[in-house]
Parts: sequence; C-alpha cells; structure tokens
Amino acid sequence: MIAMGAKGFFTDTTVCIGCKACEVACKEWNQLPDDGMFFTAMSYDNTVSLGASTWRHVAFIERPVPLGGQTTAHGISWLFMSDVCKHCQRAGCLENCPTGAIVRTEFGSVYVQPDVCNGCGYCIAGCPFGVIDRRAGDGRAWKCTLCYDRLRGGLEPACAKACPTDSIRFGDVDELRATARARLEQLHARGVTEAYLYGEDAARQPGTEGLNAFFLLVDRPEAYNLPPDPVVPTRKIAPAWLSLAAAALGMAAAAVGAVASSQERGHS
Amino acid sequence: MSDRGSVAAEARTAGEPRHVDPEVGLLVGEAAQQRVPAERAEEGAPPYAVWDRSVAREERAAADTTYYDRPVIKEPVWIWTVPLYFHAGGAAGAAAVLGAVAQGVERRRLGRLVTRCRWMGAVGSALGSGLLISDLGRPERFLNMLRVFRPTSPMSVGSWLLAGVGALSGASAVLASSDGLLGRAGDAAAYGAGLLGMPLAGYTAVLISQTAVPAWQEARRSLPVVFMGSAMAAAASLLALAPLGPREEDAVRRFGMVGQIASLAGMLAVEREVSRIERVGAPLRRGPVAALWNAARAAEVAALLLSGFPGRSRPRRTAAALLGTAAALGLRFAVFLLGRASARDPRATFHQQRAGRGAAEVTGTAGVASPAGDGGEAATSAEG
Ligand code: SF4
Repeated sequence: MIAMGAKGFFTDTTVCIGCKACEVACKEWNQLPDDGMFFTAMSYDNTVSLGASTWRHVAFIERPVPLGGQTTAHGISWLFMSDVCKHCQRAGCLENCPTGAIVRTEFGSVYVQPDVCNGCGYCIAGCPFGVIDRRAGDGRAWKCTLCYDRLRGGLEPACAKACPTDSIRFGDVDELRATARARLEQLHARGVTEAYLYGEDAARQPGTEGLNAFFLLVDRPEAYNLPPDPVVPTRKIAPAWLSLAAAALGMAAAAVGAVASSQERGHS
Repeated sequence: MSDRGSVAAEARTAGEPRHVDPEVGLLVGEAAQQRVPAERAEEGAPPYAVWDRSVAREERAAADTTYYDRPVIKEPVWIWTVPLYFHAGGAAGAAAVLGAVAQGVERRRLGRLVTRCRWMGAVGSALGSGLLISDLGRPERFLNMLRVFRPTSPMSVGSWLLAGVGALSGASAVLASSDGLLGRAGDAAAYGAGLLGMPLAGYTAVLISQTAVPAWQEARRSLPVVFMGSAMAAAASLLALAPLGPREEDAVRRFGMVGQIASLAGMLAVEREVSRIERVGAPLRRGPVAALWNAARAAEVAALLLSGFPGRSRPRRTAAALLGTAAALGLRFAVFLLGRASARDPRATFHQQRAGRGAAEVTGTAGVASPAGDGGEAATSAEG
C-alpha cells in the first residue's frame, strides 16, 4: 500500500445549487439500485436521507430569513447541502464492527468489505450521523466508499467529478482545510458572517477527532440534519464497562451469599 | 460470456432496480451485487409516510430546528430475536455463575442444582446464538463473528464470551455424571464457564449503550445493573420451574430475589439518567414503551413479594417463577423499544448534544457547532 495523506471532501454549501448531479453520478458509477420513486413535500428533496443505496443526498432548506449580506425582495434564502459519509477519524461504524468487515483504507477512508459483512447491524446504531444502513433483500451494510475503485485508478470520486459548481471538492484533507479556511474568510469579508466550518479538524469536532469529509455551513447543524456535537460512542463507554464489572462482581457475591445462606428445611 | 449471462439474469429477477440493460451495460460497480427484492412491496412501506402533512406550512421555531422532523440517526435494524437473546444469553451467564459457585461451596449436597445450571448455560448459549444468527442480514456468514477479536466492539467481545460459555457449559454438562479425570475436567470447564458467565450476563447493556441512540447512551451507567439483575432473575425463575432439593430451591430463590431488587433499583436509576434531558426520557413517561416498562416493573414487584413471604407451596413458587420470567422478558423488550423510539426522535439527539451531553461530556470542550451569534443553548432552554 502506498503511504499518503488522507483524502476527503470539502463540501462548500454556499455554492451548491441543488442540482443533484452528485446523487446521480454516485448512483451511476456505483450501480446502486433505486429507492423507489415518490414525492415527499420536503422542498425539492425526494431522496430524504442517506442510506444503503443512497450515498450522496442533497438537503433542501427553505428559510424565511435572508442570508447575511444579502438583500432580496422577499427576505428568504434557500440552502442546499450535499451530504455524504464523513469518513470520521474516529468512526463509530468501524469501532463497532465485530467482523472486521469495516476497514480504514490507504486513503484514510472508511470502507465496508461486502464479502465479509454479515449484516449484524451494529455499525448502523454506532454511526452518530445516521449514514450507514442495511437494505432489506441484501442484508449487508452499505455506505459511501469514497469511490475506492476510482481512487485506486487515480480518478477523483464520481460526485466531486460531476459537481458543476465545485461545491464538492476532493483532495488531501490538509489542503482542503486550507482551502476551506480561505473560503470562510472570503465569505466573512463579504458579510456572510454566519458561515462556519463543520467538523474540519479535531479541535472543531473533538467527538470524532475530525471528519475527512467536512462542510461549510450557514445555519445550525440541525437545519441540515447534522448533530451539533457528535461523538463516537466508544469514547463514552468506559463507565458502562465499570458498571458491568461492579454488577458482575455483585452477582458473584450474591451467588455465594445465596448458596451459603440457603437452608435445608423445606416449607412445602 | 456465461458469467455475464448470469449477472444479466440476476438483474432481471431483481426487477432491474438499476435500470441498466444488462445486454448493453456490465454490472461491475461497487454496489452492483447489492440485492433488492423483486417486489418493492417486500421492502415494506416507504421509509416515511408520504404526504402525511404539509411541511412547508409547518411552524418551525428557529431555536428547535430539525430537518423536516426526519430522524438524524438510523433506527437500530435489530428484530425481536435480539431482546429475546438478551434474556436467554443473560440467563445462561447467570446460571453458569450460580452453578460454579454451588459447585465450589457444596458440590455434594447441591449436585442437582450444579448439573441443571450447566445445562442451562449450554442450552441458553445455544439458543441465544440461534436467535442472534436469525437476526443477521447474512446468517450464513455467522462465523465471521469469530473472524477477529475487536476489544472496541462489545459485540465482538460478546461473541467470544457466548462461544466460550456455550462450549464450556456444554462440555461440563455432558461430563456432569462422570467421575475421575473426566469429572474433574467437567468441573474445571464449569468454573471457566462461571468466570466467562459473569460478563456474559450483562454485556448486552454495554453493547446497546455504545450506540448513537440517545436514551441508551444516557443510561449507560445504570443499564448494566438492570441487565445483570434481570439476568439473575431470569435464571432463577427458569430454575424454579422444575423441582430441586429444598436447600437448592432456597439458594435459587435468594439468588433471584437479589437480582430482582438490583434490577428494580437499576430501573429507577435508568429513569433518572434518561430524564436529565426531557426529550430523551419522553418515551419512558408516556406511550407504549412506558406502559411495557411499568408493567414489567409491576410483575417484578409481584414476583419479588411472592417469593419473599414465608411459606413455599409449589403453585406459589410456580406463579412467582412465571411472573419473574414475564417481568425479565418485558424489561428487555421495553429497553429495546425505548432505544428504537429514541432513535426516531431527532430532538432527543439535538437536545442532548446542545445540553453538553454529546462529545462535550467526555472531551470537556464546548464542541457544539453553530453559526456566529447563534445562542448555542437556545434549544435546551426552549424545552421549558
Ligand atoms: S459518518 Fe458514520 S458511516 Fe461514515 S465513517 Fe463516520 S461513523 Fe462510519
């Protein structure tokens, strides 16, 4: 394996136009099956969420307030965000996986090996972002692979390639961070003071120790269905193991006490 | 050519969900082998109720934003066999412990109890494994559970524990009536099963706590006590269903009562832990989960009273055992459904993290991400 810096995405939501080219490119390249066709009445979002067969999802948020530094006749703003697996530095899915099916690749991405996964579902409950899922009929867990096959062939992921506004940028995470910070400064200078970066490093998002796919947002994370302070569940679990140890010792003590104090005389 | 033909055939039987004409396009993408049912209907209803309300007209308080009220995390996909396994595996672990202790303290006079505990450990583990395998998306790959040992994954730890207790209890049960070297090997196996049975009885509490599900995460300190106590009660109730010697029955009764008291105390602690955040504790206050939770508690109290008062007639003992089993089962299902309800509510996650009980609880930093000038605590104070 070639040693190299982690690869990832910087998704700048301020230039996303909601065209869903990324969703389509992802489905096409990975030959993902469809999820059924229906309308949801959620703005223009009929995809709803990421899932086993949806590895990119564009969120549509219609707000009754304008964007900072903007003057529009009706005082509204329409936000879009192309969501994806975050390829967390500390990934809940990976740390929960009991079979070793989920691995960290040479690109720093988190990859589910479909030939190993036995569909236990523990990764699904372990992901703080609700990304990975199992599909009925298939039985295995699926999510974005960061286009592992394309990266091996020296190509960028299909979504980044298709994005017409460069809202989705692919590259070395270190370089993406610099790009993102420069873009943030530019936006602040233009009066979009609410712009901020989400999950760009361990300092900004200590619970996951940073995301390899991070975002520039202009509203609360909740508006985009992102958790405000996500944490890999493993980091919080030490007290549970301690409780378990105490309870197990208590059970052993109770067994000794019950056997030692038990009496021969029957009442029946 | 034949390879391509079979892929094409599979695509046709799968209802061609990729809309790729297999005569023209090759199915070789990363997800080309993802199977979907031929009939959409087999997948059940769409993942949400379409048109059930007009979102556009919905009042959206800025301080309590969600994304169209859609869940932020995925609901656990586990089916009913999983809480049933919590019960069976817990009982197997607790029985292995009780059996090992009885064997160490009074092997000669408690022989029947020792043997029955060995069988319970073996049968419980086997049954539990079956329940877990039936929940897998790819049951034929169940052996992959023992492909690696991953200490960060309670499910991996638990798989090894379950395999260990099953094998050791099974061996000791088969050797229960042997003497000499074989008998001693059986005794050693039973001690080993008892040792591994200690964590096996309650590790499932750690397993569900290590998820993004808000209620399970919040209750991570008290759930192990509930599960351990429930496992003791489950084992004792099952052991009490068939006659043993008077002294043995008394030991089982005492063991079960300690378990019931522990699980009742643990339930109170769980209620306290989850109600720190209004939205996280909501399913335990009203609705079907609360009803099941309270029914399980009532049954547990009744079982405890029945076995606590003097006088032990056979019908009364049986009634206590049945009530105890129902209580333990009801409790496992209530905890399971609590997690499912909690995962469906995006506000449970959002409020928990806004209140500083997300990553901030362990990292000590205020990591909540928000635009500049946005009152980070607004969501919590808006709860009222
Ligand atoms: S976002 Fe979820 S699925 Fe993606 S790496 Fe992180 S934990 Fe795993």
